Amino acid sequence: MASTTAASGRRSFREFTRTRKFQRTMIIIAFSIIPLFLLFLFTYLPFGEMVGFSFYKMKYVGRRTYVGLKNYQSIFSRKDIFGALVLSLYYMVGALFQIVLALYLATILSMKVRLGKLFKAVIFFPFLVNGIAMGFIFKFFYTHGFVLDTILSWVGFHIDSLPYWLRDQRINNWALVGTSVWRYVGQNMILFIGAIMSVDPSLYEAAEIDGANGFQQFKYIILPGIQTIVTLNIILSITGSLSAFEPSYVITSGANGTGTYFVIMDRIAHTDQKVGLASAMAVFLLCLIFLATVIQKLIFRFAFRNAQAEDESFQAKKARKRAIRAARAEIKAGKEAQKRMLADGRKEDA
Amino acid sequence: MKFQKATALTLAAAMSATLAACGSSTAPQSQTNSSAAVSETSAAADSTEPSADAEASAASEEAPGEVDGATVTYDQIELGTTGTDLNTEIKLLTHRTDMMADDYNGTNWNAYLEEFGKVYPGIKVNIEAITDYASESLLRLQAGGWGDIMMIPAVDKADLSTYFTSFGDVENVESQVNYTKNFEYDGQVYGIPSTANAQGIVYNKKVFADAGITELPKTPDEFIGDLQKIRDNTDAIPLYTNYAAGWTMGAWDAYISGTATGDPDYMNNKLIHTKDPFAKNADDPGTYPYAVYKVLYDAVSKQLIEDDYTTTDWEGCKGMINNGQIACMVLGSWAVTQMQAAGPNAEDIGYMPFPITVDGKQYASAGPDYNFGISAECDATNREAAMIFIKWFTEKSGFSYNEGGLPIAADDSRVPDLYKPFTDNDVAFVADNPAPAEEADLPNEMNSESELAINAGGNEKVQSIVEHAFNGDEDFDSIMDEWNQKWSDAQDSLGVEILN
Repeated sequence: MASTTAASGRRSFREFTRTRKFQRTMIIIAFSIIPLFLLFLFTYLPFGEMVGFSFYKMKYVGRRTYVGLKNYQSIFSRKDIFGALVLSLYYMVGALFQIVLALYLATILSMKVRLGKLFKAVIFFPFLVNGIAMGFIFKFFYTHGFVLDTILSWVGFHIDSLPYWLRDQRINNWALVGTSVWRYVGQNMILFIGAIMSVDPSLYEAAEIDGANGFQQFKYIILPGIQTIVTLNIILSITGSLSAFEPSYVITSGANGTGTYFVIMDRIAHTDQKVGLASAMAVFLLCLIFLATVIQKLIFRFAFRNAQAEDESFQAKKARKRAIRAARAEIKAGKEAQKRMLADGRKEDA
Repeated sequence: MKFQKATALTLAAAMSATLAACGSSTAPQSQTNSSAAVSETSAAADSTEPSADAEASAASEEAPGEVDGATVTYDQIELGTTGTDLNTEIKLLTHRTDMMADDYNGTNWNAYLEEFGKVYPGIKVNIEAITDYASESLLRLQAGGWGDIMMIPAVDKADLSTYFTSFGDVENVESQVNYTKNFEYDGQVYGIPSTANAQGIVYNKKVFADAGITELPKTPDEFIGDLQKIRDNTDAIPLYTNYAAGWTMGAWDAYISGTATGDPDYMNNKLIHTKDPFAKNADDPGTYPYAVYKVLYDAVSKQLIEDDYTTTDWEGCKGMINNGQIACMVLGSWAVTQMQAAGPNAEDIGYMPFPITVDGKQYASAGPDYNFGISAECDATNREAAMIFIKWFTEKSGFSYNEGGLPIAADDSRVPDLYKPFTDNDVAFVADNPAPAEEADLPNEMNSESELAINAGGNEKVQSIVEHAFNGDEDFDSIMDEWNQKWSDAQDSLGVEILN
């Protein structure tokens, strides 16, 4: 043993390159360096640049002056920027509604339904529609007396009693959120269906034999089974609603009180050419999304603490820990008692 | 020859150093000095102070063999004689995507190029039309290597020489071309207008006649009165705002200078130094920017616009004004040909001056559309070819006239019939004077700082007038106060002197 280690210490570099360990490392490096380089070049480097920009007062071309944190202060002090974040709440409400709807449709469609495939395709279809086309579709859809109003008049609404969907500032944001739900509910649904399919079908059979109805099956089998994908969808939807852009940009171009944070950012960056401020807004949004994700993670960890399918239950874990602690304490106490006894014995000997 | 090569290389090195440092005021002085053997280098290396020499060295940058070849200027070109032996390809970036189509109503690019090919068979012009030109072109410009000719996007004047080649001295070029003032810097001209527009109102003559309007309105009050007549006597929408398209609202900015004041210095020289430029004019409330935006506010608050402004349709409005469903729209003269082409009633579409009268006389702002600029990266051959093409396009193609624009070539006097209501009423065309050289960037800076983006895509501020007027939640004067406040804040932060 000792001789081999001594030999390897003096091994030539050439020999070293032939070792399995070295070659494995080299292959790992060689394979990962390209994607890592691309990731760095197209993601982290531009992002780093942008963080740098956020401390300057600058336009795309021309001089730049260092202003420190002034851009970040403007985000909070300017009503139009900070106020735009409030609009995200509309989209968050829409996102939650969208998830519930998608989950409902997914559950139904994953059971045996006539024309199930057709329904899946129809509901998923909007996701395939180009975002710009959506702008045109919905401008006509919401135009007074056009598509939506016509449909509503079939079911008995009078055209004069219907609101102007995009003009009325009390409802135009809801109208836009509606388009977003229409577009993404299908995508969420397909993800849910995929997850539901992976649940072991024998569980349903067992549940049916036990006399569980549809809702009980959903609550006790499906929901715990697809918990991960539900969490993921919620996180994606909430962060997505913080950075909502498309509906507002293509349908109303952010006018009439529908300018979301992203649309305002686009305006500041491109029309007003305040690149520094826009960069600061982007960085701030990133932090916000990061924060939202962390908070959600924590909430879900708490909410699902009892339902970790593979893990032992929370109580069991607690009980086990308590038992271990108790055992350790006992062992410690035992050892001390032994020592004492030994010491006593020596004393007696002496 | 060897010495020349060395010179050219030094120049190229100095130029690339400049490009690397472009935009920052700290040009690497040491590098410049090391290659100061050539007289042009110091001028070329200092990007913040472009001079006539800059373009000379720019032309030589990528063509080491032609350093000593004299650079042609626009005024020296004799079409049909200069450069007939040139054999090259040039690339042009344009915003006119519609002119790429074979069924374009008018003369399309191919037809123009065919004509040009007859005179200059050796020069092949490749055209790339870009949708969303205003922002895309800026990116392309930054990236470099975009081609030879471009419609100059929104660039600071001080940066013009970094990206574009001079067409020649102001004096010489101005004697041959109108409306060059927008892209003049430091005695050099960097842009030749493709066409020029006057600002007025597109209207349907038949609807106006049906409503009983016999004389075109000359003041804001008359105009609002006429809109009311149209509302009362016809089924047409009196004034179509095109709110949803956005840029159509920003178009209102074009009326606040020459049209509303009759003063060619207002836009670039006075507005910047004016305290509260949007306030009501004490002498005549029917003039100055206040009056222009007030027309919009009043029209909306009196419900003289379309019913649902948030769902207006730009493509659709062309047909609607053509067949008499819309009475008028506030748009530049370029829009007229499109409105005429959109239906069977081309002869109903007319163009009238904006209803503002300053001291008894009406004015109309006139100014260039997009300007052609030649890349600073061009070698001497392509530069000459590009310049020949632009001169031909300006003087021989008839493009401006065909598109309903005012003449660009100085010796051209053909004004399209469209402007009859202007010439009949003795309306004076006013072209804005540029800001003085030391303040050349100030209008852009003010636009950016105040975020009002006047004549620079500030659509939202005009849209907000419509919103507030319709919802009745803010009166006109307080909107103007807000704008004045933004303007004053920007003046403060940029240290602009208030002169009046």
